[in-house]
Amino acid sequence: MVAHLVRLKLTLLRNIFRRSRAQAIGAVVGIVYFAVLVAGLAVILASFRQSLDAARVVIPLAGAAGIVLWTVVPLFSFGSDPTLDPGRFATFAVPHRDLTIGLVAAALVGLPAIASMVLSAGVVVAWSHTFGSTVVAVVATAIGLLTAITTSRWVSAVMTQAISSRRGRDVIAVLGLLLLVIIGPAISVVANLGASLRDVATEAAAVVGWSPLGWAWAAPGDVAAGDLGTGLVRLALAAGLLVVVFLLWSRVLRDEVDNPRAVSRSDSGTSSGDDLGLLARLPGTPLGAIAARVLTYWRRDPRYQISMVMTPVVPLALLIPFVTGDVAWTPLLMGPLVAFLLGWSEHNAVAYESDALWLHVVSGTSGRDDRRGRLLPALLLATVLVPLYVVVGVAVPDRWDLLPPALGLSVSLLGAGYAVSSVMSVVLPYPVAESGESPFNAPPGAAGITIAAQSMASLGTLLLASPTILLAWWAWQGSVGAGWGAGIVGVLLGIVVGIVGVGVGARLYEQRAPELLSALRRS
Amino acid sequence: MSDVTDLPAPQGDPTEGPAIAVRGLGKRFGDLIAVKGIDLDVPRGSFFGLVGPNGAGKTTTLSMVTGLLRPDAGQAFVLGRDVWADPVATKRLLGVLPDGLKVFDRLTGLQLITYAGLLRGMSRELATERAAELVAALGLTEAQGKLVVDYSAGMTKKVTLASALVHGPRVLVLDEPFEAVDPISAATIRRILSGFVESGGTVVLSSHVMDLVERICTHVAVISDGLVLAAGRLEDVRGDRSLEERFVDLVGGSTEVVGLSWLRTSSG
Repeated sequence: MVAHLVRLKLTLLRNIFRRSRAQAIGAVVGIVYFAVLVAGLAVILASFRQSLDAARVVIPLAGAAGIVLWTVVPLFSFGSDPTLDPGRFATFAVPHRDLTIGLVAAALVGLPAIASMVLSAGVVVAWSHTFGSTVVAVVATAIGLLTAITTSRWVSAVMTQAISSRRGRDVIAVLGLLLLVIIGPAISVVANLGASLRDVATEAAAVVGWSPLGWAWAAPGDVAAGDLGTGLVRLALAAGLLVVVFLLWSRVLRDEVDNPRAVSRSDSGTSSGDDLGLLARLPGTPLGAIAARVLTYWRRDPRYQISMVMTPVVPLALLIPFVTGDVAWTPLLMGPLVAFLLGWSEHNAVAYESDALWLHVVSGTSGRDDRRGRLLPALLLATVLVPLYVVVGVAVPDRWDLLPPALGLSVSLLGAGYAVSSVMSVVLPYPVAESGESPFNAPPGAAGITIAAQSMASLGTLLLASPTILLAWWAWQGSVGAGWGAGIVGVLLGIVVGIVGVGVGARLYEQRAPELLSALRRS
Repeated sequence: MSDVTDLPAPQGDPTEGPAIAVRGLGKRFGDLIAVKGIDLDVPRGSFFGLVGPNGAGKTTTLSMVTGLLRPDAGQAFVLGRDVWADPVATKRLLGVLPDGLKVFDRLTGLQLITYAGLLRGMSRELATERAAELVAALGLTEAQGKLVVDYSAGMTKKVTLASALVHGPRVLVLDEPFEAVDPISAATIRRILSGFVESGGTVVLSSHVMDLVERICTHVAVISDGLVLAAGRLEDVRGDRSLEERFVDLVGGSTEVVGLSWLRTSSG
């Protein structure tokens, strides 16, 4: 049974390459990109073999960060992996123990797990001072990795259960806000560190090394330094933690298989009778209809609601360092950040509709109507949010002299984001949680292409806006002329790039609409 | 397929010739050749049934005719217009009900039909008026304010059909229109479609329910394994037997059950 689950996961991994050619290329690019990144990091980790003191500071911190990432990132970014969704195994009479072990084993063959293993190999190399320390390093690193993966399974199982109910969704929204509140002060602490970074890291490593997150990662360091007793205590604690996490996972799994959750459905926003809602209020043209439909979806589909909540809230986090510390500059970026998010977040818009796009294709909807209709709602939102955040961002630190560059930068990022999104949502749609599924569910084997496409969209946006970014940087350095330059160039650049990008996207849509539909029709 | 291979492509006058003409249409998915160069004429004003076993290539063929899937070879014409060379003009003439594709299910039924009308460039007054009429005709009045995601499979089918009808197409292409639809609604849909054909429209539908096709269609084509095995008037295709017998005969499958003895519970 365990072997079955692993084989299932391998098949799903292989199927990444069996979609359309563009998507396969995207996946390969993404994988190569991250393979290089991961290999580089592993080499850096391994190089800490030269300094045991440095290794004892860096590796426990890195390992603890790894466990936190394994727990948090899949929930917010590419979701829990539904191949490992326990609810799906409810109809098969799989022995509970096999399923518990098998699902963790299957998680081990995913791309993130392989990357973690490569990094772990670097960690083992860093600890290989004596025979004893090497053995402990192998055992402890394996325990650390398994703890990370099992915790990730456990948390996402708990979260998928919670998200099925409306109340659960509210709870998670609150948790998300809490996380943001923590990030703010963290930035301000780091920004204030300056020269004392080393001391703080040393202290932090000492604390983390004795916390559940760091036991497994600190143990080999003790042994390598000759403190065998402490090392073994930490190793035992780490093993105990793994057992506890595993039992927790096992219990949640039993719950889920016994009571597979119902698909969560939003029952909100049902208009009664013959009310046409927004379709009656926007212009009665294809463009107006598409914009009205997108706006209606924003209100009714939980997948959009999450990004709708996040987009205006995230830039507010930039206020926190200003309030808590002496960092005066972060609020200046509020306008540009919200502009970036508004444009960038549309880069996979079509995929959220899945193959319902056929209606546009059989209707012969023109590329211009399709592209513009989709962007219109985001543009409406931008006309409210961007000026508001630009002005607030400039007013809070009282830097009105930087108003032109802040505005120019925002408009450039917005236009560049729309341009990149218009093109990318036609060329490289990548799988997302389906309508009616939990918004935190992501389709199997999509993590690589998700990250690749998101990085590409970010880089593309920044690249297109780079002239304004340079001018704005210059203005920040004190040049008054550059400030006005950034303002004027930024606004013009944003408008021109936006219009050209949407035009290119429209042409591509007209050429490729059937291919786009095929790409969206994944099994 | 051999007897229609040499038909000329019906170019030119859109008022004459077949409603849909398919010439050498082919599609492959990787190693699988789903449609192997089909030729087919759907006469104007016919009620045309496309039958075939599961995986025969019905959906693939209909998708290529309606502009949803680009063919690897061949051409398709709707009322004399090339679907892939002149998509905008063709799509105006077509009403399409695909099978197995999602709809914009976070709209209400009424909104979805209106949305389809507006996408076709209709004025809002006309789209709203027709949407209301279609909702009433298909018995969806009670549910018109509910989200389509909360509809049953049959209701979703009906609302999608309404979206295909709203712009007043000349040719309807319907993939499995009666699947999951209850008998009363099926009768309603049949009456709507018959009325459409009587007033000069053309309907192409795919199904694997032979009885149904035999009852309502004037013409029929049998597709299996990506090839047209027989096509023409219903009487000509079935001869003096039932369509089902003729179909089994053509497709060449056996209906004998081999094995499965353990499924007969009386033995255990």
